[in-house]
Amino acid sequence: MSKQLSTRNLLGIKDLTEGDIQLIFETADNFKEVINRPIKKVPSLRDVTVANVFFENSTRTRLSFELAQKRLSADVINFSASSSSVSKGETLVDTVKNILAMKVDMIVMRHPYPGAGVFLSRHIQANIINAGDGAHEHPTQALLDAFSIREKMGDVSGKKVVIVGDILHSRVALSNILCLRKLGAEVMVCGPTTLMPRYIGELGVRVEHNLRKALEWCDIANMLRIQLERQDIKYFPSLREYTMMYGLNRALLDSLGKTITIMHPGPINRGVEITSDVADSEHSIILEQVENGVAIRMAAMYLLAQKD
Amino acid sequence: MKKILIQSATIADPASPEKGKVKDILIEDGIIARLGEKIRAAGAEKIDATGCYVSPGWVDLHTNIGDPGLETKEDFLTAAAAAAAGGFTGLTLMPNTNPPLHSKSEIDYVKSRTRELSVEVYPVGCISYRREGEDIAEMYDMHLSGAVAFSDGDRPVMDTGLMMRAQQYANGFGGLIISYAEDRGLAGNATVNEGVVSTMLGMKGIPALAEEIMVARDISLASYNDSRLHFTSVSTAGSVELIRNAKKKGLKITADVSAHHLLLDDSYLESFDSNYKVKPPLRSKADTKALLAGLKDGTIDAVCSQHTPHESEYKELEFEAAAYGISTLETAYPVLNMAIGKSLSVLRIVEKLAINPRKILGLNVPVIRKGEPANLTIFDPAREWVLERAEMKSKGKNSPFIGQRLKGKVLATIL
Repeated sequence: MSKQLSTRNLLGIKDLTEGDIQLIFETADNFKEVINRPIKKVPSLRDVTVANVFFENSTRTRLSFELAQKRLSADVINFSASSSSVSKGETLVDTVKNILAMKVDMIVMRHPYPGAGVFLSRHIQANIINAGDGAHEHPTQALLDAFSIREKMGDVSGKKVVIVGDILHSRVALSNILCLRKLGAEVMVCGPTTLMPRYIGELGVRVEHNLRKALEWCDIANMLRIQLERQDIKYFPSLREYTMMYGLNRALLDSLGKTITIMHPGPINRGVEITSDVADSEHSIILEQVENGVAIRMAAMYLLAQKD
Repeated sequence: MKKILIQSATIADPASPEKGKVKDILIEDGIIARLGEKIRAAGAEKIDATGCYVSPGWVDLHTNIGDPGLETKEDFLTAAAAAAAGGFTGLTLMPNTNPPLHSKSEIDYVKSRTRELSVEVYPVGCISYRREGEDIAEMYDMHLSGAVAFSDGDRPVMDTGLMMRAQQYANGFGGLIISYAEDRGLAGNATVNEGVVSTMLGMKGIPALAEEIMVARDISLASYNDSRLHFTSVSTAGSVELIRNAKKKGLKITADVSAHHLLLDDSYLESFDSNYKVKPPLRSKADTKALLAGLKDGTIDAVCSQHTPHESEYKELEFEAAAYGISTLETAYPVLNMAIGKSLSVLRIVEKLAINPRKILGLNVPVIRKGEPANLTIFDPAREWVLERAEMKSKGKNSPFIGQRLKGKVLATIL
């Protein structure tokens, strides 16, 4: 293996070069071919033990990682704890060091606090993949989103992507902005004013509060899930009113006079941010995103395992 | 008789007749016995202060010590040692204790426990009973026991009516209210400054407005009540402007800033190092500049340490889980010195560290002249050194400056 990543952890898109991203994409191309074979398994990570350490609920991200690990023939262990029980007792560093003492090589971690992975990387030697840290980063999601755009449109550079929804509480939004910008796309964010970080424009994105205008501008719309569980206080009066302002439905889509590609990181709140007839339409690549997620995660873990 | 001879120190005291001159100072039993050239004193402990300055001892306007109740963070003895190492002969103790300093017995406890120390401790009593922000504490009784001012410490007084009554009530006996300005509703559960940095870190931000709206409120109340009011550790350009305008109008407003808010800005947070987690949060570069300008033009009267020691268990955590604060008594001076560069003279620094803090608290200001009690700090603005964790006197090793080269060192304090 000649090409290597510039980093030994995947903590955020922030730390990746454009070359890193392209390398992950090229590797994922190969793995995507692999997982569509009758025999979906390769021995690339045989004898590598990976721990999925989740301090926050997750079904699909963990499933996607676990499947990717199994396709690579890695040994897998899962640890989940609510962050509240951890904050009462064992510290993050202790928890992870205990897992590593059982000879684990790689950590995939989800954590409610931003920067938890960065913090952990100062204390342990194992490779770390950030599977979401608060509203900070979710690099594999951003990579699979960009990979899916590349697959659908041929290239990411020059494409206009709007990210719609709760930008304030979203790690998907931040990682997507950073990843798409590095690949030369134009990015817009769209959502309620109360859920828009005041300084988001300084990241080089356009800010729009009107969904129709945003859709008229874009080639691709990434509809974020409204995560009420992340909101400690009310940022908008009701889901009903959110849907009135930011819900994507077929009538709106058809009235644009052009075709746009629809994405969603899942899980979908059908009828809230997106109606079923849009989610299931021919323009939606939501299920392709899920499939690509496995390939991207295989690529990321495979490449990190090459780094000591 | 105990004798100390300070040799060849430049006198940095705006009120001293020997101001700006290089002198020897002989101290006998705590009194300045002689001030002259080439003094000989057999048996005296000698301090070679060639190239150094001697000023009235410094007073910190904002110190957190964990006694009573949180002694594993800091007790009076370690605080005194850290204060001496950092150049302070007086500490203004914030009531962030357990129990809080909210009645005469806690004030009496602090006074009696600190009588024999090598540092003077000035307790600040609570504004509200139990520091709960509801009912006024027995401020007059605490005042009689030696409380120098009143504040709810790191809890802002959110109830405007309570702040109104506290100012009015303190007026009745000449008490001083210290305001720590932060609107909790605007700050929410955010832990860092709102800005590009917080956006890049995926963190909610505390807007500068959260501080400024409370500064504006408390200035309005002080104007209405004709009260003296002191703002501690202001952090934003807007606060400086509000205080500047209030002073222009002749209101009896004073303010201090912490040394670290003059040197550090929120770009340091990119490492997620919880040693940079402080309240108020580190602000933008523009705020730092405005604070320095305010310090220069006199809008900001004093510089404090905002010393907040913690056990490693409270700091060596994920950023959002870690406690606020830096252990700063030993680094406040070099940090201030590095922040101001050559923009403030040594005499102006002495005003900010020794003279104005006492004026704000209504304490007697010691003067370097024959016959006065010796209350002195000897320091060298040019000396460079590296802060070593093992050499810190404070129990709190929570400092982002550990391992860093600092400029400006305190040689000794004499009290």
